[in-house]
Amino acid sequence: MVSKKVTIINPSGVHARPASILSKAATECSSNIFLIHNGKKIQPKSILNLMAAALKKGTEIEVQCEGENEEADLKKITELIESGLGE
Amino acid sequence: MEKIKVEKTASRGIAVAKIYKYGELDLKPVQYKVPEDKKKEQLDKFLDARECVREELEELAASNEIFSAHMEMVMDFTLEDSVTSKINNDSENAEAAVSEAISEVAAVFGMMDDEYMRERAADIQDVGKRLMAQLKGVKLPDIGSLDEEAIILARDLFPSDTVKINTDYVKGIITEEGGVTSHVSIIAKNLGIPTLVGVKGIFNKLNTGDMVCMDASEGVIVLFPEDNITREYEKKKQEFENEKLRLEKLRDIPVITKDGKKINICINAGNADDIERALPVKMDGTGLFRSELLYMENTHFPTEEEQFEVYKRAAMLCPQELTIRTLDIGGDKELPYFDFEKEDNPFLGWRAIRISLDMKDMFKEQLRAILRASAFGNVRIMFPMIISLEELREAKAVVEECKNELREEGKEFCEDIETGIMMETPASVLLAEQLAKESSFFSIGTNDLTQYLLAVDRGNKKIADKYSYFHPAVLSAIKHIINAGHKENIKVGMCGEMAGDIKATEILLDYGLDEFSMSAGSVDYIRENILKLQGII
Repeated sequence: MVSKKVTIINPSGVHARPASILSKAATECSSNIFLIHNGKKIQPKSILNLMAAALKKGTEIEVQCEGENEEADLKKITELIESGLGE
Repeated sequence: MEKIKVEKTASRGIAVAKIYKYGELDLKPVQYKVPEDKKKEQLDKFLDARECVREELEELAASNEIFSAHMEMVMDFTLEDSVTSKINNDSENAEAAVSEAISEVAAVFGMMDDEYMRERAADIQDVGKRLMAQLKGVKLPDIGSLDEEAIILARDLFPSDTVKINTDYVKGIITEEGGVTSHVSIIAKNLGIPTLVGVKGIFNKLNTGDMVCMDASEGVIVLFPEDNITREYEKKKQEFENEKLRLEKLRDIPVITKDGKKINICINAGNADDIERALPVKMDGTGLFRSELLYMENTHFPTEEEQFEVYKRAAMLCPQELTIRTLDIGGDKELPYFDFEKEDNPFLGWRAIRISLDMKDMFKEQLRAILRASAFGNVRIMFPMIISLEELREAKAVVEECKNELREEGKEFCEDIETGIMMETPASVLLAEQLAKESSFFSIGTNDLTQYLLAVDRGNKKIADKYSYFHPAVLSAIKHIINAGHKENIKVGMCGEMAGDIKATEILLDYGLDEFSMSAGSVDYIRENILKLQGII
């Protein structure tokens, strides 16, 4: 398993639109992916799970990937979050 | 055949068409226990419905990103797991399982203490509605999917409905609720669609496909008309169109009073598209640009760049004048992504300039965007709900602060941009003389001014007959504002409903009003009226 910490930069947090972009990207990854926030595990492949976490701007989260492509998937997901999820 | 007389004309014109009933569907699930050997059937039913909804949303997602989020939601594995478990373990049928699963997810969002929860719960319920309609084999009403001419019949229409109106097909609108200053009325007038509102009891009298004739100018609706009546209305409709053509010919005549004063006839707009659509009426400018629509139809506070693009486009479309009212939110206007605390008296509460001055960073983003757009046309800034000199000074200080920043950043803007007040509170009327000394212009907002002066809620049907801008107190306030403005040599305009009311034109001209700003649909009539009153035609 590999992991990395990233910070949410979206001005209004991970609301519906960015959540949709993140969950779509996560679903395309073969790894098992979790976002760890305040000790809670969020499954980014589920938009409902992701949105229910209500991640706000400035929140630090840990991205965990596990699987054959874990390195590449971790890079893809963290870069996407750091780039502001299309906003 | 039945004839109904209606008093509330929201937008003039005549329509003869079939009804398209736009309203609530019964999507309550039918519930029953499923025997073991039929569970697979119910699961497939869910999966098939989901696939149809996914395809439906995929198509919508091409034009609006929010639907791609809806698409993710409907395909979400937590939703699928929940529905599957209800069918397999609790022997529920597909309809019941979906309905429960959606309510559960929506409830999770509903319980969260977060400013976006409402938007999210609504998104999920929206998705749930699509799934339920699919399972029940009924079609969700969608104004945007109309492909033949129709008169829309609804209890009420909301901004999310009216944005989908295509004027090729929507020939008329009749609503059971609402008044002439409600959202649907304003939009209908902008689009020039004949509209009658507040027609009590009509919703249950008609069904989709029923023939109706309506004359929104006279306030008449004929249900199930006989052939000769239909022909009569079609003839009237033709006459109305001819009349419109005649009015169009007046568009090039300059509107100048007997004593040589040019009267500006402007439009009120909610976005740049409104301005673009209105260009054929040849207005003298945009006297009220309601910036709040930009905030309301969004998922987040619009950024400086996002706003700049909109204002710039509007300024370039309408370079003569673009008066942008800074965010006027609160009261009856909420934001899906911001949690307004419940207030006992929202119209007397935290709204408009009060919010802007409290949330200075947000205010600055808007002012910077407006200032930058001022490099592309005659842009003016208008502050809503001002009640004191201090507020005006504070707002102007923020404008100066933004100017300094832009200057340092080397960004272009108009140095002597005008800043004025929307005169809509009793306090601003009483202070008009002082306020005029520090404003570049006044614009009278008669809707709120009338409501505040008379202490009459304009949405309350029981006292609707007491709401009138012809009340002597309102007229005297208007006269006072105009005099106070002219004493300091500033122009005084009006951007409330009254400016577009033919019955008010003469008295307003008499008081010396400089600018009439109204929905685009009224411009021709007001222009004709002024030209007539001045003996020009």
